[in-house]
Amino acid sequence: MFEPNIGLDFREGMIKRRLERIGQTILITSGKGGVGKSMVAATSAALMAKAGMSVGLLDADVYGPSSAFIFGVRSLPKEDRHGLIPPVSNGVKVMSLDLFLTGRPLPLSGKGARQIIKELLTLTDWGILDSLIVDTPPGTGDILMTLIKAIGSMSGSIIVTAPSALSTSIVRRVIELLLAAQISILGVLENMSYIASSKARPLTHSRGKSLASEFGIKFLGELPIDYKAAEAADAGDIPSLLQTDFAKALLTSLEKSNLFTTKPKN
Amino acid sequence: MHELALAEGIILNVLDFVRKSERHIVGFRVAIGEFAQFDKRLVEELLIELVKGTELEKANIIVEVERAVIKCLYCNSKWGFNQLIKQLPDDQKEMIHFLPELLNSFSKCPTCGKSDFEIEKGRSVRLVGVELDV
Repeated sequence: MFEPNIGLDFREGMIKRRLERIGQTILITSGKGGVGKSMVAATSAALMAKAGMSVGLLDADVYGPSSAFIFGVRSLPKEDRHGLIPPVSNGVKVMSLDLFLTGRPLPLSGKGARQIIKELLTLTDWGILDSLIVDTPPGTGDILMTLIKAIGSMSGSIIVTAPSALSTSIVRRVIELLLAAQISILGVLENMSYIASSKARPLTHSRGKSLASEFGIKFLGELPIDYKAAEAADAGDIPSLLQTDFAKALLTSLEKSNLFTTKPKN
Repeated sequence: MHELALAEGIILNVLDFVRKSERHIVGFRVAIGEFAQFDKRLVEELLIELVKGTELEKANIIVEVERAVIKCLYCNSKWGFNQLIKQLPDDQKEMIHFLPELLNSFSKCPTCGKSDFEIEKGRSVRLVGVELDV
């Protein structure tokens, strides 16, 4: 008797086996675009690598990939019999669709976006890592849902928001979604809270802390608007990025989340 | 080529099914989508090698090539892999063999010229199903 549907996409098993070799997988998410998720994700990965951890950075933003740009990576992943080997920059293994697209747009329907994210998770051979940072796209659509289904049970998340009420109103929805999916939330980061050079605050009221408090989540800290960080990212200059006030504030915040204490898996 | 990774994934998927369902499998069928651009014989050899020493050692393995069908979501026209592949430079052919959806960036509908299309069939390797002992 032929049974055409045995209920499993074999890629899900492969993804699980790849993640079993990774100490911690962290989704950097928000729901809101333009709050600096990609800068937080890239800088977090670089800080971890500088601290001696083995780190991967997966850019899951299909429509606006930026990790390869920030890391100044131009080389294609290498293919071998076990999958795709990500290029390494500043000690971080970087996988992004922009390594293939090199600036081209990728017009994809929801179905196509789900497929390409699943395929990227299936094929990327990270090896053994202490930490995999996943930069997620804005919104609560197909890509975030695919990530939650494929890797959610094996990962935690960090929420990034801006100080505005508009931002927190959208971020709140993602927190509810993650909690409903039983994804661990390590904390809330508020980005763009103050100007790095002057310490001036564009908005007097910081809503990130109250948002974290509302859900009983740890508030990890405030990050500045830092033009030097933007310039370093534009130049793909990770060593300079790590010297900025933005990176220093992020390091202080991440230390509260115990992300630097992981041990590698065998 | 990453055939080995995908072949291992297929075998582990079938073994997982066998162990969880406690059913006896007499065979299983695997489709290689045209986008994968894999050598069918090589995939067969890998699968046969990988089942050695497992509960699937005596299973009948059928590997078939699945023709690719791409459908335009704008004008509803459909086209196939041969028509598509002629338009692409070698580096893009290589990229779509592991990430077929990159095609949306590299190509357009041959009828209306839009990039709003999706791959209906033949995108990668998949387990079609299993033959159960009744």
